[in-house]
Amino acid sequence: MLHERELKVFVDGTTHFFEVAAEQPASIGSPYLMGEPLALHEYSGVIEVSGRREGVVCFTAPKTMLAVMLMKMHETDFGHETMRDLVGEVANTISGNARRNFGNDFRISPPHVLCGDTPPIEPRPGARTFVIPIHWRSHSAKLVVALS
Amino acid sequence: MNAAIDPTLKLLIVDDSNIVRRRVERSQRFDRLRLVGSAANGVEALALFSRTDPDVVTMDLTMPQMDGIECIRRMVAVKPSVRILVISALADKATAIEAMACGANGFLNKPFTERQLNEALAELLR
Amino acid sequence: MSPAVPLDRRTALLIAIGVLLAAALGTALGTGFRLATRLREDIAAVQTASTLQAYPRELLREVSGLRERLEVRAYVGRSLATLRGSTHDFGVRLRALAAIDHDPAQLASVQRRWRGYRDELAPVLGFRGEPYVDSDAAATRLSGDGHRLYARIERARLYALANARGFDADLATVTRGLQSSASAAATRLRLLLLGGVLAALVLAAIAAWLLLSRARHARAAQEARERTRDILRTVREGFFLLDADHRIGPVWSDALGRMFGREDFAGLDFRNLLAGLVPEPTIATALKYVDLLWGERANENLMKTINPLSQVEVKSTDPLNPEPRYLQFDFHRVTGAHGVKYVLCSVVDVTSNVALARELQESQVGANAQLDMLIGMTRTDPLQLASFLDTADAGLKLVNAILREPARSDADFRRKLGGLMRELHTLKGEAGALELRGVADRLHALESRVSACESRPALSGDDFLPIVAKLDELVEYLRGIREIGARLARTDAEPAASPADAIAPILEAAAARLAQDHHKALRVECSGFDAIPRPLAKPLKDCLVHLVRNAAVHGIEDPDLRRTRSKSDVGLVRTRFARTADGYELTVEDDGAGIAPDAVKAAAVRAGLITEAEAAAMDTRAAIALIFRAGFSTMSEVSLGAGRGVGMDVVARTIHALGGRIGVATSPGKYTRFKIHLPAAADAAAAVA
Repeated sequence: MLHERELKVFVDGTTHFFEVAAEQPASIGSPYLMGEPLALHEYSGVIEVSGRREGVVCFTAPKTMLAVMLMKMHETDFGHETMRDLVGEVANTISGNARRNFGNDFRISPPHVLCGDTPPIEPRPGARTFVIPIHWRSHSAKLVVALS
Repeated sequence: MNAAIDPTLKLLIVDDSNIVRRRVERSQRFDRLRLVGSAANGVEALALFSRTDPDVVTMDLTMPQMDGIECIRRMVAVKPSVRILVISALADKATAIEAMACGANGFLNKPFTERQLNEALAELLR
Repeated sequence: MSPAVPLDRRTALLIAIGVLLAAALGTALGTGFRLATRLREDIAAVQTASTLQAYPRELLREVSGLRERLEVRAYVGRSLATLRGSTHDFGVRLRALAAIDHDPAQLASVQRRWRGYRDELAPVLGFRGEPYVDSDAAATRLSGDGHRLYARIERARLYALANARGFDADLATVTRGLQSSASAAATRLRLLLLGGVLAALVLAAIAAWLLLSRARHARAAQEARERTRDILRTVREGFFLLDADHRIGPVWSDALGRMFGREDFAGLDFRNLLAGLVPEPTIATALKYVDLLWGERANENLMKTINPLSQVEVKSTDPLNPEPRYLQFDFHRVTGAHGVKYVLCSVVDVTSNVALARELQESQVGANAQLDMLIGMTRTDPLQLASFLDTADAGLKLVNAILREPARSDADFRRKLGGLMRELHTLKGEAGALELRGVADRLHALESRVSACESRPALSGDDFLPIVAKLDELVEYLRGIREIGARLARTDAEPAASPADAIAPILEAAAARLAQDHHKALRVECSGFDAIPRPLAKPLKDCLVHLVRNAAVHGIEDPDLRRTRSKSDVGLVRTRFARTADGYELTVEDDGAGIAPDAVKAAAVRAGLITEAEAAAMDTRAAIALIFRAGFSTMSEVSLGAGRGVGMDVVARTIHALGGRIGVATSPGKYTRFKIHLPAAADAAAAVA
């Protein structure tokens, strides 16, 4: 059972990145529970959590959104590698924020990045999955929190 | 080689993310700092370190091949006067203390604003 | 504070004064002793000198006596011996005086005269012959020697006579000299004694002043120490000092003892203080942190942000209270001229703050969740339970679907609230009816979160995070029930039945619970439910639950009131389902208070559904129709049973969705009857819904 406060820590880690790095705050959309397979966007940064909680946290964003973010960050290179770096950094920020808030009994892996055609995330039995849309400017990404 | 002849300080940026490397390079506002290299992992960083002999290093902690803490330890062993700023999203307290005990001089949480970076560098160069 | 205080300036001064005093007294005593000895000698000399003064005359007299004895031819032996003795004495005394006298110049003249005397007297004193010759013819006469002796004596007599006055004067001078010397010595001694006493007095006065001031300072220091002690005794924080070797200093506050259940802090290693109380990795990090404080590598602010003990869980040392406690350590560098002197550490017990935060966080997660789940289930018929779980599943899926609708603006979010409220309220009613208290409570909590959003000024996704978290909690809870139910069902399997069969028991249970909650007595009669087509079972059950609840809460009166109206104590709610020529008819009738149009209007005005003016213009029929409007409630108090203003509008929506219509007949004080007509195609409509 994931607590609201824990959920909030992951959400805050994400919105914090936008506010600080992309110089414009993001808002969160209407959160819901994932009942069916969820298609990922082109780029996803994934961190694995173990210890007090087990599961994954994933930030998935469309290419168009990442491109605008890079522009806002005064980045000139919009290549594949840079996009990968960017979702990796967002995931990094989420995991850093979680570590600061939850302490050492919440072990978090370094992020890894998924891109291109990845199969949809399946709902996992025993771990209910939260989907939190992240709105930034006219774009939307998703934060997926699947922990048990 | 001699600091009295060359008043600028040589800067080495270590981070596995291109974005962060460029961001540090672009955002820092110190005329005294001159970028001499940037590395994407610990092994590359140490090679560049011995070749360029930097005075200031910004250091990520989680990197492939060799992590930042080990990298700091080796750099300080070679050149105790080097000033190292840890820039990491994973800078929880224990990690920060560990990094500073190994010889880092400051740390900065990712993500950072231009102002935060420059404040941290100013504190480092004080 | 510390036992090893170096000699302070005052003490050093005092010691110097002591040394000085001893030196002064020593000098005075030494000098005084010397002066006194001199004085004694001078006095002895004066006595000798005055004795000597008598000798010249005595010698003259004795010489003259000797001459006369020779003239009368008397025996001179004895007189000579006397003269010898006197001369010898004089010589001895004069030598003694010469040894004492400090001014030999004065004595020189005396000694010169004395040498003259001695020279003159030497032949006389050395006389050994016979001075007389006896003859018969004449009287005794002088012998040759006698003549010579006579001549010698006469010379000495003349010499003595000539020098008697001078001798006298010389000796008087010597005596005077000696007297004045003695008197000077006496004066010096007096002065010396006076000076010594004065110096001693002055030094003693200074010493006394110093001692006094030292006592005053000692008292002030003592008071300061006591004040410090008082502070350390009464302060609620634990305070102690750490040196560079992580050792605790000799001073700490009493609170520290209470926090750690020990008193042996002096010199205790910080590691040992924490050992056994916090995990080893935390201790290692903390020690590294303290080392960083000594290293002065980072400024205080930076150090504060990485303090690993800013809130640390500590194992209890109190066997009576084994709960862990939370301590907050703060570290401050105390710097001196040569960098950090020591690290001041303060400790505060923040257990109650942390506990409060935890409680707030976990207030919704009851420790007895499992238990209440089981109790609720054992009271519930397995079939009804299974039916409810299906309903709940579907309902919560709908809730999630509502949440899932993309939303960015306040309006987007606000639109969801009505739908969420309706679904949750329906489920809550059923859960309450089945006495699934745990489910009903969770639904209530979830509903409260949703309803709290209505009053918020600008809704955003943040407001919905608690909703989705609570929804998740509920889904999990229901899954638990289903699992336990499945396990129970395996041991107690029963043949499957029509879902419609479950409706009557649900209504009866709901009625019983509502009666209890609202202190009423009521009974539900159900008839014709076996004719309910399967697709209609779920929607009609929902409607029936709402209608029965409405009857129980708003229709049936208190037993007391019923008696005054000549009704039976037990209220009756009659429900009947029947096929009609063109479809189905469902009737729900209670023998309660009926609907008072004015009360309905007033409630609608209070709820902001209509204005006063609109209310005034409304006829009875329109007024009664208000009860089907969303947000209407005549109950001012929110409870689990009814009164959120959701319920009748759900019934109306459901019936309309099935293509049916609903009619109300009421007579104030007598009855209320809801009559629902459904077309024959309604079961098909329900099947695709």
